[in-house]
Amino acid sequence: MISFPSLEFFQALQARMREKQELFQRLGYFDTTFGVRVLDNGGAHSFILGFEVFENVRVEQVGAIEQAEVDFVLEGPLGVWREMLDNIRRNRGADAAHSLNTLTHFGESLRSVYLDPDAHDKMYRFAESIQQYFNLAAEVDLA
Amino acid sequence: MGFFAEKDFFEDVELLEKVTKTMAGELSLDWLDAATERVKCAPQDTRRGFTMDDINVGSYGYSSLPELIRNNYSMAARGSERVGRLPDLGYVVNRKSDVWADAAAALYEEAKSRRWAPAVDVAWGTLHESPLPPALEAATAQLATFLEEMSLGRMEFPSRWVAIINQEFIELKSLLCAQMIDEARHVEVFRKRALAGGQGLKRASATAEQALKEMVFGDSYAEGSVACNVLLGSLLLGVLGHAGAVTTSAVDQKIFRLVGQDVGRALAYGSAALAYHVAHRPGAGDAMHDFLDHTEHTWLGVTASRELLEPLAVLTAGGTDRAAVQNAMQKIGFTLERSLASYLAHLEKAGIKDRSRRSRLPQLLAAARG
Amino acid sequence: MAYLSTTDFIEDKDFLDKWRYTMRTGELDLSWMNEDRQVEPCTPKQPRRGLTLRDLDVPGYGFTEMPEIARRNRSFAPRGAEIPAGCPDLQADVNRKSEVWAYNVEGYYEEAMTRQWNATTDVPWQEIVSAEIPEDVNRAYAQLLTFLSEVEMIATDVPAKWLGHLNADFFEVKNFIATQAMDEARHMEVFRKRALATGHGLLRASAQNETNLKFLRDADGFAEMSLALHLQAEGNVLTLFRFSEYISPTEADKKMFRLVMQDEARHVGYGMQHLKWVLDHFPEKREIVHKHLDEAENFLFGAGYATEVTEPFIMLAGKGLTQECIRKGIEITLKFQLQQIEEYFERLERCGMPERREKSRLWQIVEMTKAAQAEMAAAAQPAG
Repeated sequence: MISFPSLEFFQALQARMREKQELFQRLGYFDTTFGVRVLDNGGAHSFILGFEVFENVRVEQVGAIEQAEVDFVLEGPLGVWREMLDNIRRNRGADAAHSLNTLTHFGESLRSVYLDPDAHDKMYRFAESIQQYFNLAAEVDLA
Repeated sequence: MGFFAEKDFFEDVELLEKVTKTMAGELSLDWLDAATERVKCAPQDTRRGFTMDDINVGSYGYSSLPELIRNNYSMAARGSERVGRLPDLGYVVNRKSDVWADAAAALYEEAKSRRWAPAVDVAWGTLHESPLPPALEAATAQLATFLEEMSLGRMEFPSRWVAIINQEFIELKSLLCAQMIDEARHVEVFRKRALAGGQGLKRASATAEQALKEMVFGDSYAEGSVACNVLLGSLLLGVLGHAGAVTTSAVDQKIFRLVGQDVGRALAYGSAALAYHVAHRPGAGDAMHDFLDHTEHTWLGVTASRELLEPLAVLTAGGTDRAAVQNAMQKIGFTLERSLASYLAHLEKAGIKDRSRRSRLPQLLAAARG
Repeated sequence: MAYLSTTDFIEDKDFLDKWRYTMRTGELDLSWMNEDRQVEPCTPKQPRRGLTLRDLDVPGYGFTEMPEIARRNRSFAPRGAEIPAGCPDLQADVNRKSEVWAYNVEGYYEEAMTRQWNATTDVPWQEIVSAEIPEDVNRAYAQLLTFLSEVEMIATDVPAKWLGHLNADFFEVKNFIATQAMDEARHMEVFRKRALATGHGLLRASAQNETNLKFLRDADGFAEMSLALHLQAEGNVLTLFRFSEYISPTEADKKMFRLVMQDEARHVGYGMQHLKWVLDHFPEKREIVHKHLDEAENFLFGAGYATEVTEPFIMLAGKGLTQECIRKGIEITLKFQLQQIEEYFERLERCGMPERREKSRLWQIVEMTKAAQAEMAAAAQPAG
């Protein structure tokens, strides 16, 4: 059983993505580095995820995310992240109410933080791949 | 009207002699001595395949393209040897800084790689498993009508220019082809969505079309690109994100997400092209400010059109209840504010400094939100 | 030179007031909702194909019932949508269906969308760059590739040039044009990449063929353009691709030519079905078509000057520069050229123009050439 948030969790997603190479190849080049910040009791668990071509090439837990190092940061309370992941596991993929876009668009659940508007556009350019990446959580044995 | 050959070749004795010689084995073989650069290109990253970047070498590459193309008005491949009289094919866009973006080749590769086909990549068969209530289906159909309309305009913009842009800019022209097929895809998917739901198409928008025509039928390529790719692109990206966030249909969500990928890429090109234009043309920043001073009103023409605003409100509200719609307008206001901020941020980064201070749009939006 | 909308929306007080009112109160007009344009929900008739444009061919929206002349819509309004007053005129000057339509255009479009391939990844480039090809054959191949990379994008530029002239009601044709633009960009790309992978780079441009490109660009009307481009030029190129596949120096190159052939065949298919439609629905065009083909065939014949195309083909077909190779190469090249022309006339016949042969000076040349070949063959027979 893998806990969230944890480096192990994102490494599990990385492994699942390797297994689903065909899907990600079909979706096309996936070239972005983004941060995930899980807010928890006044603190934060921060991760940097790098994607290149069709692979997840970087999975790192950091103390703090340098905004300039990433295209954007997906940030939000642990409860929201957890609800999203539970929804993904229950439905084998996020339902309409729990897609990343739904959760981030109004900034009420999760939000997307960025410095560079061109870099932020990658959240849209690679949206389907990003969604499918998080949908891989359906196959992770979460605690 | 039409172009005619300089000779009636069927009466051309010289041609007959030449062909006879060739077919008798008397080959000139002068092309063997073409004085061009010898290169052997290969994929540098086998994961990506053989990209346009891999052939960006020497005299063949786009990095060595000059600002002004004076020596080639034909379709002779860039870097090939030009011998004899090559015709003028009528290109009128011959300045690199009118069209170029350093990201053009990479965005073209991304467009090809991330292609999708509405017929098979949308789960049309599942649309009826969870049908929307009639009011929401009608709103979706109206929104789809509007987005089909916008896509028809956005398909036309690259098509108006591609044939008159110098062939030396092949990477950029290829990207314009990718934009055309992207928008064809959007025309297709939104039409399919409207008709798959049973409501059919609804109403075209006179105000949005007037605005769209002004964006598409611009004075110059650079201005048209800013209008269509950056001004309209950032707005549409916001609308697609909003619609995707409020719909209860997973099928629609995927449609908005996939379309958003393509629109995001067009915005990325528009932004990068603007940056190149401003960096390489003295005075371009001021000229673009002047253009935007009298063109930004088109953002309002699209945004405030009833045929966009109302279906978006109904979808957000989950129906037509007045109180719910009033609340929905808050959310729409948020989306518009964010997409306007994105537009202004793209301009700032591209070198159109201080647009947020000069543009009238932020105050107008703030006033409308109350 | 620019279009300015009939109102400056920021200066239009009524427009602004209405917007502000709607945003603040949530009071909606909703008259668009009451538009009774409903239709039986369109569903995939063949589920494996997904939802196609043919599935949308229903009353009120479909292409079958589209009238010959698009009179109502001069804007971007999607076909079948309500067109309110005040929509701008897009100056579309092609408003006759029979000018642009083709049987099965919707099918060609769907095929194009699902059969897009990627020159970056779908050609076995690793195999190509490690292949050993004799120097003279390789250089000849680089020259052929130079020609192909030069001419392909004419079929992007020319249809794209017409896209904005077409009434928005003909969106299936516009969409097809968009796919063709992309196909041809891909062809230019793959041939350019292949040439730059040979170790020779590009060689010589083809001045004579460039004048043919100008002829294609400057056609009088959409139907004339399509005839010369899709049917004649791309038909010839399709045969060229088939022979190029045959004479390709590696298996990977054969795959490359098979891929481009798929797209080209689709464009030729559109051209043929378009000509059929024109002749069926616009019979007055027949003589105009003949006149246009007279000049198209003139250009085709003039391409005999382009030895920078013929000679590499001979070398590739004969696999070298020895006398025997050249002799063999000429034999194959002549066969290819005759086949190219015969297939062109066959296509015209299948489209409903069997009489083209009698009118064509090109066909006379073919007949004379075949007669001369037969004479030579007979003379070469041993006596008795």
